[in-house]
Amino acid sequence: MPESDRITSEARPSRRSMLRGAAGIGAAGLAASAIGGLAAAPALAATGRPAAAADKAAGPRAQRADAAEPVVVHVRDARTGELDVFRGTTQFRLRDRDLAARLLQAGQ
Amino acid sequence: MSSHREAPEISQDPVADSTDVYAFVCPDWPDSVALIANYLPLQEPAGGPNFYEFGEDVLYEIHIDNTGDGWPNISYQFRFRTEVRDPDTFLYNTGPITSLTSANWNRRQLYSVTRVEGSHRTVYGTGFVCAPCNIGPLSTPDYDKLATDAVHALSGRRHVFAGQRAEGFYVDLGSIFDLADLRPFQELHAQYGLHVFSEPGPGVNGTNGLNVHSIALQVPISDLTQPGGGKEYDSRSVIGVWTTASRQKVRLWDDDRGENVNSGPFRQVSRLGNPLFNEVINPVGKKDLWNTLAPLDDKLFAPYVAHPQLAALLPLLYPGVFPNLAALVKSGKPRADLEAILLTGIPPHLIDGFQNYTGAVQADMLRLNTAIKPSKHPNILGVIGGDLAGFPNGRRVFDDVVTIELRAIAGAVYSLIDKKYTPDAAANAVTDGLDPSSVKAPYLDVFPYLGVPYSGFYNPSAS
Repeated sequence: MPESDRITSEARPSRRSMLRGAAGIGAAGLAASAIGGLAAAPALAATGRPAAAADKAAGPRAQRADAAEPVVVHVRDARTGELDVFRGTTQFRLRDRDLAARLLQAGQ
Repeated sequence: MSSHREAPEISQDPVADSTDVYAFVCPDWPDSVALIANYLPLQEPAGGPNFYEFGEDVLYEIHIDNTGDGWPNISYQFRFRTEVRDPDTFLYNTGPITSLTSANWNRRQLYSVTRVEGSHRTVYGTGFVCAPCNIGPLSTPDYDKLATDAVHALSGRRHVFAGQRAEGFYVDLGSIFDLADLRPFQELHAQYGLHVFSEPGPGVNGTNGLNVHSIALQVPISDLTQPGGGKEYDSRSVIGVWTTASRQKVRLWDDDRGENVNSGPFRQVSRLGNPLFNEVINPVGKKDLWNTLAPLDDKLFAPYVAHPQLAALLPLLYPGVFPNLAALVKSGKPRADLEAILLTGIPPHLIDGFQNYTGAVQADMLRLNTAIKPSKHPNILGVIGGDLAGFPNGRRVFDDVVTIELRAIAGAVYSLIDKKYTPDAAANAVTDGLDPSSVKAPYLDVFPYLGVPYSGFYNPSAS
């Protein structure tokens, strides 16, 4: 089973996690790909801080996003299989080497 | 500029680019505070056919820290949406806009206001109408009325306004970023041997005649402070204020829709507390990072406050004019005066009857002691001009923050920290040569305080 965890909107990452995240992006920031119904794009923000309770502020447009906007997958690190999955105003982080490999293959 | 296009990334994203923040006790209602955050810098008034508007995909916030930790206790959130009545016309308006509900107004923005305090959320409303842009005598024939109608009453004597305003921040942009050849003193500049200036000149307001978009709130002081304050010496009377803009982490161009779509959690892309902090204190390599962080992380940037580059440059650019500042810079002593003004607030007992200290946490916030009443005779130099109701005690729309910060960086108030230090005569005289008369559109005496935006038809003028 792939590991996964939800990056909660309200959680404020520690400085340590922020710096770790920045390093990860540096390593695999261009390894985005697409497959099947999954659209993928490089993440725009390396890490950054959440705005205070920002994601609860998802307005009408963001609410529409939950129903109609694509799921976006960012392959953060193909070697470890670390993936970020974006939908609506949420972000999941998965670790799935097989899926990462398939995404990269589909993007070639 | 105060914070207009101040960092490489945000300079590419005007709708999320915060330009100025103001916070002051309202002179016409001294039990309340005005909070104003400006975005969308340097708007030419004649901005058709797509006149300026807030970003639907941006989360705008004004934050209040009332515990001194550099993290918001209260956040006001603003989300905008755009209504297009007729997508088959190219026009912003199909006739005169005579009211906020005018059928002639083809592209109207509405917004929601939410107050967040801990886990408690209060939605003040979701359908407030923005003021339109000031287009001209045929399109917006009674602009003052439209703008007045766009001041919406919330519950409990609170008010909100969002829309276009005249730029109230004045600065000689052309001179400051031409290697600081301040026109009133330009003949004293080293000029790199080019011998361009032989006599002083008057300042030129680089933002004159331009507009911005403002988000303004007027709320009771008690909405913002910890209970039990109310006295000047009481730390509970002091709040820290800043604004942020956030975007969702992913933006994707959707070919089918012909527009960007967004996904993921919101992340901060712009921040502003004290004017000019990210502009002239932080180095260019750190500006984008600073924009993503909260004030509680500003210890990372404290060295740039303690040893500001501009303080070292002034004696070099103006040889012989700032000898005492040069010696202070050479000594390597940290600028505790600037750390107090920008990062912690001014502690009690440094200035008679004044403090806006929020504690030891170094955080760039606009600090306002809400117990200090508005001045009946304001001085645009604020606290250094003897007016305790002005910057850096909060910031009023007319405060001359450029001159105040120039003088502070030049060492004008370092003697508060070191009694043996004598400020250079020039430190109390340096200025970019501007004052509120440099702003064509007069400030208002009532909320939202910034002037009526410049009309596209009349600006620039035929003459």
